[in-house]
Amino acid sequence: MNVANGEISQEIGDINLAYMLLAQKLVKQDRVAAMFRLGVSRELADMLASMSLAQILKLAASNFLLCSFRLDEHASMSAVVGEGKDTMLQQAHMSILMSARSLQGRKEAATV
Amino acid sequence: MSTKSVLGEVREVQLAIQLIHLGARLQFLESEVGLSRERLIRLYKEIKGVSPPKGLLPFSTDWYMTWLANIHSSMFYNMYQFMKTHSDEEKVWVLIKSYKLYLQQIEAQESEPILDFTRACTMVRFFDSDMLQLSTCRRCAGQFVAHAHDHKSGYVCVLCRPPSRAGKARGSKRAAGGEISVPGMESIGLAVESALDGGGLH
Repeated sequence: MNVANGEISQEIGDINLAYMLLAQKLVKQDRVAAMFRLGVSRELADMLASMSLAQILKLAASNFLLCSFRLDEHASMSAVVGEGKDTMLQQAHMSILMSARSLQGRKEAATV
Repeated sequence: MSTKSVLGEVREVQLAIQLIHLGARLQFLESEVGLSRERLIRLYKEIKGVSPPKGLLPFSTDWYMTWLANIHSSMFYNMYQFMKTHSDEEKVWVLIKSYKLYLQQIEAQESEPILDFTRACTMVRFFDSDMLQLSTCRRCAGQFVAHAHDHKSGYVCVLCRPPSRAGKARGSKRAAGGEISVPGMESIGLAVESALDGGGLH
């Protein structure tokens, strides 16, 4: 039991680290495009860019996944995944839904 | 205009180069870049190796309503809107940036861009002049390009409720293995489209 739990934590940590490093790379390349891809606000993007490797490592070593489902409603999730759609259409649909999502780290009121 | 700085001019030329690479038409260049028509034509020839195409820009909003075009247009406009809201660049650069993002997206999906740059720019203008709007799909909550002043309630998007023959032409093409080209609905649509475009040549 303990061993399995340890393994899971390890895997979560690995994903967190990979995610944080990728996110930081994206923000450093092109902030607005990264905001679009990651779905994060400008403030959060700036913070990601300025984090040191030590800070990232510390944050990544957690029992919780730092990245979350962005298709966070059942309706949109099933609209995209549900039917036997071809990949291109599925990707297009995803892109349309994602663009309209409100950004993490921003108050809902800001996106009317 | 007469007191143009050298740096300013360099920026204009860079802008024109970017736009020409993306496939902007001369009419659009003239309205967005503060360079003379002659210089733009020379620049165009140097980059593309041919003279800029003549003829009118697309002027109908109907193109954006056809099935696949609507999907691509909605994809692009959503990106454009995001960029416009969150980027502090000038409008024309936002357009360039979001169009590049659209191309990247298409490339990642390994499909062909359906919306060319001219159509993308024209669409933004249609939105600005209140001829198009975004309607929210009742099922997936996504926002899709639609005619302005369409009733918004009960709208279901082209992805949640595809028209019955949508994708059929693509399907038959794929079945043919890509060796024999089957003239599907799309190519017929394109032929009609170009005939319409050609009509504006004179």
